[in-house]
Amino acid sequence: MSIAARSFRVLLTLVVFAAALAGGWYVWRAYADTPWTRDGRVRANVIQVTPDVSGAATDLNVQDNQTVKKGDVLFVIDQARYKLALDQAEATVDGRFGELQQRRKEAERRDKLTSAAVADEAREQARTAVVTAEAAWRQAIVERDVAKLNFDRTVVRSPVNGYVTNLLLNEGDYATAGKAAVAVVDSDSFYVAGYFEETKLRAIREGDPATARLMGHDGDLTGHVESVARAIVDRDNVTSADLIANVNPSFTWVRLAQRIPVRIRLDPLPAGVTLAAGMTATVVVHPKAR
Amino acid sequence: MIKEVDLFGVFVPPLLLYAALAGLIWQPLRILLERTGFYRLVWHPALFNVSAYVLTLAAVVAVLM
Repeated sequence: MSIAARSFRVLLTLVVFAAALAGGWYVWRAYADTPWTRDGRVRANVIQVTPDVSGAATDLNVQDNQTVKKGDVLFVIDQARYKLALDQAEATVDGRFGELQQRRKEAERRDKLTSAAVADEAREQARTAVVTAEAAWRQAIVERDVAKLNFDRTVVRSPVNGYVTNLLLNEGDYATAGKAAVAVVDSDSFYVAGYFEETKLRAIREGDPATARLMGHDGDLTGHVESVARAIVDRDNVTSADLIANVNPSFTWVRLAQRIPVRIRLDPLPAGVTLAAGMTATVVVHPKAR
Repeated sequence: MIKEVDLFGVFVPPLLLYAALAGLIWQPLRILLERTGFYRLVWHPALFNVSAYVLTLAAVVAVLM
């Protein structure tokens, strides 16, 4: 074989090899730089409906996974004690009002008498008694209003349109004030959170169109980038109890990009797609030409 | 078209699909080249094969991604 033919063989192989290096680099850049992630989740606001007053749950008006509208009654807390409290407060109001009227009459009478018949001091005392009685009456009114409020709060309503989920409350369970009793998923709040590597963030801008593909679904859900999270936890500097830096002394040789949540606002859903918060999604952002 | 690939319930990255596709395209091409005696012009067949496969993969990614 001639030298020329031999050189051509070597050259051809090397050219193809060089092209392959460039092609491999292109593949990796295309794969790693395109803003997409398999680490996406459907999320929604979950409202922890919490009773404002304590008592046994007497009427449970909802079932697990039921759709509820804003203001629908979820459950009612035993009203007997709050009704009695309201009655008592109303009785106090009546009593205090009677007392006030009595004091007013006394003061009027003393005002009509001459100074010879009644001391100035007695008149003064009568006027003060009116003021005191009126204050006590108004206080009783406030207490009655509080009792009324407590009575109204025995009816626990849904604060949002949504779905009751994982209902664990049974009729007869004791509901404690301030302790969440029912979880309601806000149906107007569904969104997709894409956890993007920080290396991909520079390609993402607010307003960019985005698609989300749910695991096990064929079609893409469309939407756009609503916002990008502005903070994640610094794992190398966990706040210490005494307010000083607590920097991790070990640092890994190999390290990976951290992930930043990107919030995707979804367009109206195509028919037949039912979202559940927690579903897995593959999110692709399509950067606008910049 | 970037999406996860569902392999009987195991979800894998799409690069695996592209790699498999590139293999399917490259193998017949290689057999064809062998038949036509192209390899007489190749200095190092193994290196050439790997390089040509990577180029096929790059082409697949360029078209599909």
